[in-house]
Amino acid sequence: MLAVGQGQNVQTATLQNGMKILVQEDHAIPSVAMYFFYRVGSRNEHPGITGISHFFEHMMFNGAKKYGPKQFDIQMEKAGGRNNAYTSEDVTVYTDWFPTSALELMMDMEADRIRDLAFDPKIIESERGVVYSERRTSVDNSNAGLLREQLSAAAYTAHPYQWPVVGWPSDIEAWSMDDLKAHFRMGYAPNNCVMVVVGDVSMAGVLALAKKYIEPIPRQAPPPPVRTLEPEQQGERRVVIKKAAQLPIVMAAYHVPESKHPDDAALSLFQALLTRGQSSRLYKRMVDQDQLALSVNASYGEALDPSLFTFSIQPRSGIDPARTEKVLYEELERLQNAPVAADELQKAKNQLLASHYRELKTIAGRANALGTYEVFYGDYSKLFSSDKELEAVTAADIQRIAKKYFGEKNRTVATLLPEGK
Amino acid sequence: MKLLIAALATLQLGVAQVKLPQYSRDTLPNGAVILMLPRTGVPLVHFRILIKGGTEAEPPQMAGLASVTSALLRKGTAKRTADQFSQELDFLGGTFDAGADNSSTTITAEFLGKDFDRGLDLLSDAVLNPAFPEQEAVKELARRVDAARSVKDNAQAAIGSYLRTAFYGKQHPYGNPPDETTLARIQRKDIVDFYGRIYRGRNLIVAVTGDFDPAQAKAKLAEVFGKSPAGTAYAWAAAPALTRKGRLTLVDKPDATQTYFQIAQPGIDRKNADRVKLDLVNTIFGGRFTSMLNDELRVNTGLTYGASSSVERSRLPGAITISTYAKTETTVQAIDLALAILKRLSDTGITAEQLASAKAYVKGLFPTSRLETMDQLGGVMGELELNGLTRDEIDGYFERIDAVTLADANAVAKKYYRSDGLTMVLVGPAGKIGGDVKKYDANPVVVPIKAPGWGQ
Repeated sequence: MLAVGQGQNVQTATLQNGMKILVQEDHAIPSVAMYFFYRVGSRNEHPGITGISHFFEHMMFNGAKKYGPKQFDIQMEKAGGRNNAYTSEDVTVYTDWFPTSALELMMDMEADRIRDLAFDPKIIESERGVVYSERRTSVDNSNAGLLREQLSAAAYTAHPYQWPVVGWPSDIEAWSMDDLKAHFRMGYAPNNCVMVVVGDVSMAGVLALAKKYIEPIPRQAPPPPVRTLEPEQQGERRVVIKKAAQLPIVMAAYHVPESKHPDDAALSLFQALLTRGQSSRLYKRMVDQDQLALSVNASYGEALDPSLFTFSIQPRSGIDPARTEKVLYEELERLQNAPVAADELQKAKNQLLASHYRELKTIAGRANALGTYEVFYGDYSKLFSSDKELEAVTAADIQRIAKKYFGEKNRTVATLLPEGK
Repeated sequence: MKLLIAALATLQLGVAQVKLPQYSRDTLPNGAVILMLPRTGVPLVHFRILIKGGTEAEPPQMAGLASVTSALLRKGTAKRTADQFSQELDFLGGTFDAGADNSSTTITAEFLGKDFDRGLDLLSDAVLNPAFPEQEAVKELARRVDAARSVKDNAQAAIGSYLRTAFYGKQHPYGNPPDETTLARIQRKDIVDFYGRIYRGRNLIVAVTGDFDPAQAKAKLAEVFGKSPAGTAYAWAAAPALTRKGRLTLVDKPDATQTYFQIAQPGIDRKNADRVKLDLVNTIFGGRFTSMLNDELRVNTGLTYGASSSVERSRLPGAITISTYAKTETTVQAIDLALAILKRLSDTGITAEQLASAKAYVKGLFPTSRLETMDQLGGVMGELELNGLTRDEIDGYFERIDAVTLADANAVAKKYYRSDGLTMVLVGPAGKIGGDVKKYDANPVVVPIKAPGWGQ
């Protein structure tokens, strides 16, 4: 069903050095989205170098052998293209958008930087300042960012998901040239990457350029497996932050399995039932009826290892944050105690299906979705059967996962309280 | 994340320009304009409704009235309670968003193509038959008062409202962002009055794009939106001319470890003849990653995560604004550098190479930024109609870009990017930076962030 229109016509190839390529031709506009998914993120770090994967995402734009400092951006913009990149706990993704005519330039520049990245000490120091500024904006001067960081640090005791992707301040200040070189060798092997190209290209054209520019780069040992498993949580954990703020924030996180787990579709529906749309249970109760909160959200995203399902609540002024917490638990208990009505479950399924279509409206959205399914679900084609996964979820499944994951012993609660009124 | 610069998107040298697809335009007897662009591919239909007026139509002491009115459209209608509306919308997997900007209220909704009739019924019920139940109005207003406060916990989100007040002044229709006080004044009857004055056939533009049958849709849209009373066409507000105030506002956020700042000066209106030249000059100055501002403040010095500039395009002339941030200790260094780059643009201008690169950049990203999806196309069609522009705005864009000479670009740089009479707004710890910033304005306006409103 999701294959309608821009559907399953995805072609694949694997270069001799192990890099997998996914191509979806679409000639509606003369533009291309080319994404590189490297399977390296903050889960591949250790204390002392936290944030180094994200730092690398920045360094990848600071010059290599053929294209020196600033040249990646200068050449790309001159050719009518634009780029960005993001780093998560699991992956580092480089995103290029450009007119068809820039395809060869982009292949050349992408190959240059993973083959011959430069490590200029002066540029590294300057980029450290940029990354620290990013941290100051997204964490130190953001109440929600700060609270989320403390929540993860408390929810995990062993697994690398406990530290922030941007890194702890002391590590940002301290990582060395040797750390950087070692991390680059570990993460940036062609066989550790999936290339996704969507837009006004042909499979033959992409493959010819990939063979010319990228295939000669030798394969390397992939990152060592992340062995540490988070032990089962055996009781509630609580964190409190007190700082200047207009309003408090409450977050509650529950350990849930990795994306490949069979409960994935049910957990997505669980999120929709509780927080998607103004008819969702938590919005209706907390924001609308009881007027306890300005907003309530739940995040549950792709993860290679077991991760967190996190609720975020912004209580209204004058409302004790504990009241919002109590209502959250009452609503979770309702889902544990009684099966969800058929209509309500169908509504959540319809919402997720329509939102899938929306993700696939743009070439950029499709490049991201294909790469995400390939990396996190093991096969891009699962994108096109995700409707069946959703359809198969029953009311009994929802009740089962409500009981299995959303109990008191499995939760970590973080609260930000305004101080100095 | 590397950096998100709000920039124009585009295509490529030597490649033919992507044009706006053909679409129909009909005017109903009540004055409502219906635009239709059918296209298959993605099984979605997108509705975009514009109502002329927007925030400039609000009485200044009731800033927020236009967006509150739009938010309440779905909160109870002649046929549905708020709850029924949400249930139906969510069951269809549809979206419904409503809000107001300077010149219009915009309502967008998207449904699966097969749900065209049900979607249209829901959407039109909200837009044409809202009941504005008293208790829903009270709830929405109270929520917005809290939201106006909570946004101050995020300096990056709050600084824009302080700048509007400082740059335009409260006498200007764009100079009154909603705050705790203006929202608290609004009563249900004000909402009903505003709706009755503004939501009328003569002010209505309906754009429908995507997967639908145009013949059937045409009749249905005419029937549904033909029911809106014609009313009186909205008379656009007059405004005082923008002046070069040369004033600094320091918003004191004692716990901040960095300072956000914006530097603004008078720019252009939506139809200004210099607009394409400014697309190019601003791309070079602060509209992309390699821009002069970002190159100096981020790449060369590591002072910030990002620095950019933007050119407002509203019906009335707006601001050209530099935006960035730096840690407390280097705030003044960063402001000085931004001002030096501004002066450099004006004094020495740009090179032929920079201009050629900007032309390629703006063209290269144009298809994905404006013409790729049904909602983008609906957005373009609605915006052209609202502003009385023709499709040549899109179709002749590359030609106009190609025609810009280096002399044109440098004349525009000198004319608009000036160093005198700047409006500066800083959000940071006044206790630490208050003395140093007096070099920009000996008598700065200092506003505690906790004080209601957005300064003076």
